[in-house]
Amino acid sequence: MIELKNVCKQFGSVEVLSQIALEIQTGEIVGFLGHNGAGKTTLMRIMTTYLPATSGQVFIDGKNAATASLAIRAKIGYLPEKPPLYPNMTVNEYLTLAGRLHNVRPRDLKGAIASVCAECWLTDVQNSPIAILSKGYQQRVGIAQAIIHNPAILILDEPTSGLDPLQVVQVRALIKRCQSQRTVIVSTHILSEIEHLATRVVIIKQGTIAADASVEEVIRTQQSNTLEEAFLKLNRGRSPISC
Amino acid sequence: MRKINAIAQKELLALFCSPIAYVILFLSTVIFNVFFFMIIDQNREAQLKDVFTVVEFMLVFFVPIFTMKIFSEERASGTLEFLLTAPVKDIEIVLGKFLGLSIFLTCVLAPTLIYYFILSRFSDFDRLAALWGYCGLWLEGYLFIAIGIFLSSLCRSQIVAAMSSYMVLFLLYFTLSFKTYTQGMWSSVIGYAAVMTHTENFFTGIFLLSDLVYFVSGILFFLLLTKLVLKFR
Repeated sequence: MIELKNVCKQFGSVEVLSQIALEIQTGEIVGFLGHNGAGKTTLMRIMTTYLPATSGQVFIDGKNAATASLAIRAKIGYLPEKPPLYPNMTVNEYLTLAGRLHNVRPRDLKGAIASVCAECWLTDVQNSPIAILSKGYQQRVGIAQAIIHNPAILILDEPTSGLDPLQVVQVRALIKRCQSQRTVIVSTHILSEIEHLATRVVIIKQGTIAADASVEEVIRTQQSNTLEEAFLKLNRGRSPISC
Repeated sequence: MRKINAIAQKELLALFCSPIAYVILFLSTVIFNVFFFMIIDQNREAQLKDVFTVVEFMLVFFVPIFTMKIFSEERASGTLEFLLTAPVKDIEIVLGKFLGLSIFLTCVLAPTLIYYFILSRFSDFDRLAALWGYCGLWLEGYLFIAIGIFLSSLCRSQIVAAMSSYMVLFLLYFTLSFKTYTQGMWSSVIGYAAVMTHTENFFTGIFLLSDLVYFVSGILFFLLLTKLVLKFR
């Protein structure tokens, strides 16, 4: 379970996140929705312990992120917005590195790589350098490194940004396959993505939670017909185009 | 140790996948060999002290080239996030990178060991002094690497990292020249801070604990500073 208690984050004098309180249960698929700069990535980075919260507390499976960051990182698989890839490595070399850093036992490593390659449709490019792969393949390599250690929690930051429609469909299908055994948190500003993937949506607006409910509930409480309409209503006043 | 090795291997792979490693290996071998021939030919003495001095000077030029991107590239390309969100301690990341570059430095310096065997074969020279000189050379290289890693961790741009490394290494190397312009405590401080004060002893085969302490503490100091930079990123 993930628990955030009044999490605030400031960069200098700018408050990026304010009093974020959130509980995510095991097995949930949560979509973080918000404009660019709303604070989604910062919130995810705090959950992964990459960034410390300025105030407030983050607990993952009862462990405090401030004091048990290594134990928490071992439970999390994380794909940043830009896949963190080493272009000079082959897919195999990169996944070997990811596995070794994520405590995959040496005798299990080969099997783990074969398994994630099969799961992410990478088997045919396992020995290719990452540099020559298409963006869609690179994204899948990014997802593969995030699940190589079979994490209980998967955090994906805009996993389909910059992909063509076919690649978007492939990556979404991949995420769907991943979510069957894990808690998945996906951030995006593509509304249809949330409708396709998430069972719960958290709308972040200027560093605060504007809505936190199921997709249907958000649509209903905003008296809208679609999630897009509900999202625009919640963000009214921010955009020059009002609805 | 497994994670340190994994990071070290990654660094070596990155180095050997780029032409930089081969250019440095080629240039260093050519330059060191030419100077070895010239020094032995002109001095007609079976000792490596002057060769070590040339190698030492060349390290000031070579080391920033392979340390400049060690953290700055990771920072710029976003892969630092990959390392820092894995269950790896900051010190393991720093030590892994240090180990990788130290192995590469060994690849650069190892060919110079042939000079030891050449002189051993054809003359009766002070082998212990030469071996001690090699120790000094390696330690100095490790210190330069630790400084380069630290400065790279502060920068996002490889060029800035390289320039700042050159500045610090040249300062360390030439500090001794300022000693004549100072007196009293400052003279002692500059004398101790200058890297040449300590390598000079190594190269002439003199063992002083203070020289060993200088290099080991310098290496640890800069590696720990790098760890702090990662912690307070």
